[in-house]
Amino acid sequence: MALSVIFITACGNNNRLDRTTQTGVIKTVSDSAKNASRTTLFNLYFKLKNSFAADNDTDAANAAKEMIAAFAGFKANSLTPEQSKAFSEIKEDATEHVSHISANAGNIVHQREHFDMLSKDMYDLAKLTGTGQVIYVDHCPMYNHNKGALWLSEVKEIRNPYMGKAMPVCGKIQEELKL
Amino acid sequence: MVSTKGTRSVKKILLWLFAILILIQFMQPVRNHGAQVVLNDISNVIAVPDNIRGILKKACYDCHSEETVYPWYANIQPLNWFLNSHIQKGKSELNFSEFSMYSTRKQQNKLSAIENSFNDNSMPLSSYTIVHRGSVLSSEEKALLRNWIQSSKDSLIRKNF
Ligand code: HEC
Repeated sequence: MALSVIFITACGNNNRLDRTTQTGVIKTVSDSAKNASRTTLFNLYFKLKNSFAADNDTDAANAAKEMIAAFAGFKANSLTPEQSKAFSEIKEDATEHVSHISANAGNIVHQREHFDMLSKDMYDLAKLTGTGQVIYVDHCPMYNHNKGALWLSEVKEIRNPYMGKAMPVCGKIQEELKL
Repeated sequence: MVSTKGTRSVKKILLWLFAILILIQFMQPVRNHGAQVVLNDISNVIAVPDNIRGILKKACYDCHSEETVYPWYANIQPLNWFLNSHIQKGKSELNFSEFSMYSTRKQQNKLSAIENSFNDNSMPLSSYTIVHRGSVLSSEEKALLRNWIQSSKDSLIRKNF
């Protein structure tokens, strides 16, 4: 009790300067934690995307499984309340998609349906948190009965994850996300 | 000698199985009739015309809403357990009675998933259509649903942007 009183007064004394530097430090620490989570997540997504481009349902399931954990461990604490709400909606939705992909090795058609929805989530996530790297937004006009679908890529070259080896270069770059 | 002993133990096992079958008839899961049916129903966020609601009700609502219409075999165990596990899993994936509680992102994606599910013929579950022949969607019904899904997605986009 006495100790806490001393503590409170101590805080009261040098409050202004200390507070600001402290929150400043907290912010950069959580910012770099967020950036690390973001890098992990996008790299796993690229691994997933490349598995689909290679028509490999098992690798896709494994990458998706890692993404479940990456979303769960995402350090989103440096976001504003509004961003935070948007983030948790993306996280909830995306987690459902990666769960389906990880549970459906052997059914690549179904996995790709969820990859389509996941890719939109990842696009919105990139817009929300920034990317930390150059990311290409590619579009395939033919997928899903010509409804089309987008995907994100770490490389400029087109490697279509929806059509796989049947039509590897179908699609084009639609947008370039920088940092 | 050996064979009589064998038949005796087979009889014993059958008797036990029969007893267990009788006993589990008394273990009935709580029926799926939620109180929130109207409150959070899909029709609060998306217009659902009567013909569409009719299709969804007969083909999907037993497993994807709080309004299950229990079939005759729901009184027989272990069939009711299978049904119940489908209802629980089905509702966790998609619940029309909770639809308005979903985020707009999730609503959009569930509409896409619905369309995918009947395009792939993965829904209604084949174990269900075997008994409920009428729940198989005709191509006209699929076309109606497809149009409804498209216009619903458009209306969600208009509402939010
Ligand atoms: C007998 C119960 C049953 C019926 C009837 C049924 N479903 Fe399902 N549904 C399930 C179960 C169980 C799951 C979750 C497990 C799975 O995916 O197989 C599911 C999952 C789903 C999903 C999620 C799949 C995904 O990829 O996100 C959708 C969408 C869906 N059902 C739509 C429908 C539609 C539309 C109908 C009617 C045309 C329907 N279901 C009828 C039991 C049912």
